[in-house]
Amino acid sequence: MRLTALTVEISDMKVSSNPADMLITYALGSCIAVIVHDPVRKVGGMIHYMLPLSEISPEKAQEKPAMFADTGIPELFRSMYGMGCDKKNLVVKVAGGGALYDDKGLFNIGKRNYTVLRKMFWKAGVMISAEDVGGAKSRTARLWVGDGRCTIACQGQEVEL
Amino acid sequence: MSASAEILSHVNRLPAFPASAARLAALLDDERAGAPEVEKVIRPDPALTASLLRIAASAYFSPRNRPETVRQAVTLLGVKRTFEVASGAALASMIPARLPGYDLEARAFWLHCVAVAVFSERLAKEIGGRSPDLLFTAGLLHDIGKLVISAFVQRESPSILLKARAGMDFSAAEREVLGVDHAEVGAHVAATWHLPEPVAWAARWHHRPASAPQIADRSLVDLVHAADVLAISLGMGTDTGELARSVDSEAWARLGLNVRRMEAVASEGLQSVKELAAALGEAK
Repeated sequence: MRLTALTVEISDMKVSSNPADMLITYALGSCIAVIVHDPVRKVGGMIHYMLPLSEISPEKAQEKPAMFADTGIPELFRSMYGMGCDKKNLVVKVAGGGALYDDKGLFNIGKRNYTVLRKMFWKAGVMISAEDVGGAKSRTARLWVGDGRCTIACQGQEVEL
Repeated sequence: MSASAEILSHVNRLPAFPASAARLAALLDDERAGAPEVEKVIRPDPALTASLLRIAASAYFSPRNRPETVRQAVTLLGVKRTFEVASGAALASMIPARLPGYDLEARAFWLHCVAVAVFSERLAKEIGGRSPDLLFTAGLLHDIGKLVISAFVQRESPSILLKARAGMDFSAAEREVLGVDHAEVGAHVAATWHLPEPVAWAARWHHRPASAPQIADRSLVDLVHAADVLAISLGMGTDTGELARSVDSEAWARLGLNVRRMEAVASEGLQSVKELAAALGEAK
């Protein structure tokens, strides 16, 4: 079985049921990756969203729902359900939401990205099983569709999430 | 020789800025120069001709008409815009495959340069008012100092990273360890290449707009700073320093920026960054 790496670009999402696939996204700064795996159906999904709310540009949200948390995350879950996944089996992980050194907290896209996600998950009753968020960090996230293994590479080290 | 003197002496070892782009820069100061003079500089340079036509045809530079000849392109873009395109093609041709001190591949460095150029212009539009002269080029070339200092940053990488990860701004860590940072080196490169002043100002002060002297175009420096912050935050050309850069709150206040305006610029600019990075990058 040959491993295929599928890259999730910024403002993009991918879902796969091929156990030989690995989903990967690079350079998560203030952006956030939601990484979802269904161990029963062996389906994996990942979104790399850039901004919290689509109200900033409804046209862009139409074109690229994965640009925003509020349009992209529901789309990701719908795609998973469309592939036969059951909500109660989903393992959900979160990475990113970093920030520059910003004493006054003027430029807090990362925090806003994370706050909106928490609100959405709270309303929808979705539990986060693991997360690696915040800090002046850039992260690369990987998800192996076959076994649900997930890693985060950051500051020269790669660790399991 | 001190480390900083050694680094600055390496500025002269960089290849010369391509002659036709340098000649276009000189034309900027000549009020009589028009399309025919600009055309005369571009025509003998087949590489520049090809890049100019390709880039001038991009949606970013020509949303309505697609120029097919050098004359059409120059007439459509004007002297300043033609120089901005030529400086992009010139920079693209000079980026090495890798900048080891920053753990940065050419493609990522290039993406960062283009993102800062595009975001600078979008920000100027978002806040309204006059857009500073040569803002695109100033954004595009803001990190030219990295071409020189990269090898030295690599040598001292562990000490610089230790400071940056402990909370120090990455370029401040460069200054502490090497005695000079990529911004100061960038201003020397701009002077050596005889680039217009706005390019040197943005290169020199984009991490510390508050320290820019009166003579510099303050709003240009602020805009390039904010655009750099946005590009770094969005992971466009992330380097070994990751997000360890400081946001200058005074620049924020001067520009009247807030996080929503930055989000609008990010959302509107993303596609242009991708398209332009591809169109300009073919000049490599």
